[in-house]
Amino acid sequence: MKVWKKKELEEVEYEPRSVREILTEMKDISEVIVDLAYAAVLFNSDEIAEEVRLLEVEMDRLKYQMEMTVMLATRTTEDAEQLAGVLQVANATEHISNAAGDIVSLMKTHMKEPILPSVLREGDEIISFSRVPDRVKGMRIEELYDRVSAGIRVLAVKRGKRWFYDPEDDMFIRGRDRIVVSGGEESILKMKKYLEGKA
Amino acid sequence: MKNLREIDRRLLEFKERAELMVDLAYSSLLYDNRIIAREVDIMETQMDREHDALERLAVEEVREGGNVDRAVIYIRLVNALETIGDAAREIADIALRNMDVHQVFHMSVRDSDRTITAAIIAENSKFAGKTLKELELPKEYGMWVIAIKRGERWIYGPDGDVKIKRGDWLIAGGPPEMEDEFVKEAGQKVEWDTDED
Repeated sequence: MKVWKKKELEEVEYEPRSVREILTEMKDISEVIVDLAYAAVLFNSDEIAEEVRLLEVEMDRLKYQMEMTVMLATRTTEDAEQLAGVLQVANATEHISNAAGDIVSLMKTHMKEPILPSVLREGDEIISFSRVPDRVKGMRIEELYDRVSAGIRVLAVKRGKRWFYDPEDDMFIRGRDRIVVSGGEESILKMKKYLEGKA
Repeated sequence: MKNLREIDRRLLEFKERAELMVDLAYSSLLYDNRIIAREVDIMETQMDREHDALERLAVEEVREGGNVDRAVIYIRLVNALETIGDAAREIADIALRNMDVHQVFHMSVRDSDRTITAAIIAENSKFAGKTLKELELPKEYGMWVIAIKRGERWIYGPDGDVKIKRGDWLIAGGPPEMEDEFVKEAGQKVEWDTDED
C-alpha cells in the first residue's frame, strides 16, 4: 500500500494549534500543490505525483483539525459569524488541493506522447525540475534567490528519498539534491547557469 | 505563444484565469472589497461558459478523427481548473455577503509564503510611465500585479502592455520578504479596508 493511501486512513486526533497556524498552512499548501501537480505532469514524474497525493491527504487532515479548532474557539455569536468565513476559506483551499489531485490523475491515462506538457509549458511562469550539480557543497536557498533575482521560487527539494516541500529560505541545498523551481523562463535559465558555475 | 493550437491557447488562458481568480478572491477578503469580489463572481460565470466551449472543442476534435485520450485529458484538466475557479468564488462569497472576516485571516495572509500587498504609485516613483513588461516586476521583486485601480476604474490581471500611471493603486502578490522594497519603489502602502460600494 502506498504511503499516502495509508495516511488517508489514519485517525485524526485533536492537536492544540491555532486557527491562524492551520489556515496559513492550508493556504500555503493550496498554492504549492497546484504548482507541484503541473510539475508532475510536465516531467511525467511519479515521485512528484506521489508528493501531491501526500499533500492532498495532509490537507484532508488539516481540514478536520481546522473544524475541531474552530468549534472549540467559538464562544459568541460574533465568533461564529467570523469563524464561518474562516471555515469557508479553509474549505476552498481544500477544494483547490483536490483539483491538484485531479490534475495528477491525468497522468494515469497512458499516452504514447505526452499531451499536456505542450500546453503547460507555455505561459508566464515555467516549472523546472533540476538536479543540483555535485560541486555545490551547501548553499542556502536565499543565496540562490539573491544571485538569480527574485523571479524564482523553490517549490520542493528532494534529497535521497525524502521530499521537503515548500522549504524555508535558509535551508541548505547541495549536490545531488533535486529541486522543483517555478519562475520566469529567463530567471530559470539564469539559475541553472549559476548552479552549474558554482564550485 | 507560438505554434499553439486554438484549443491549447484557450486552455492556457483558462488556467491563468483560474489563478487570477484565486488572487483576486484573497484580495477581496483582505481589503474587504466587494467590487473585486463581484469581479470574481463575473469571471466565474464567464468561466462556466468557456468550460462548456472548451469541452465542445475537445469533443469536436474527436469527431474529426482526433485522439480520444487527448480529448479526455483536456476535458478533465478543464474540470480541475474550473474547480479552482469555483474555489475562488467560494472565497469571494464571504466579501460578497458582507461577512466579517476574522482577524486571523489577515494574519494568515501575512504569514503565508505568498502575501498580498497594495501600493499607491507616487509622483516620483520609478514605476510611473512604464509598462508592466518594462518593469519586469516578477523578475525584479518576485511580485506580480493582480489588479490596478485607476480612479474609479479597475484593471484585473493586467497585460504586459499596461502602462503604470501616477496615482494608480496596485494590488500585488509575492514573497513577503520583497513586499517592503516593492512598496518603497512604488510609492506608499495603501492601508485601505473600506468597502467602496
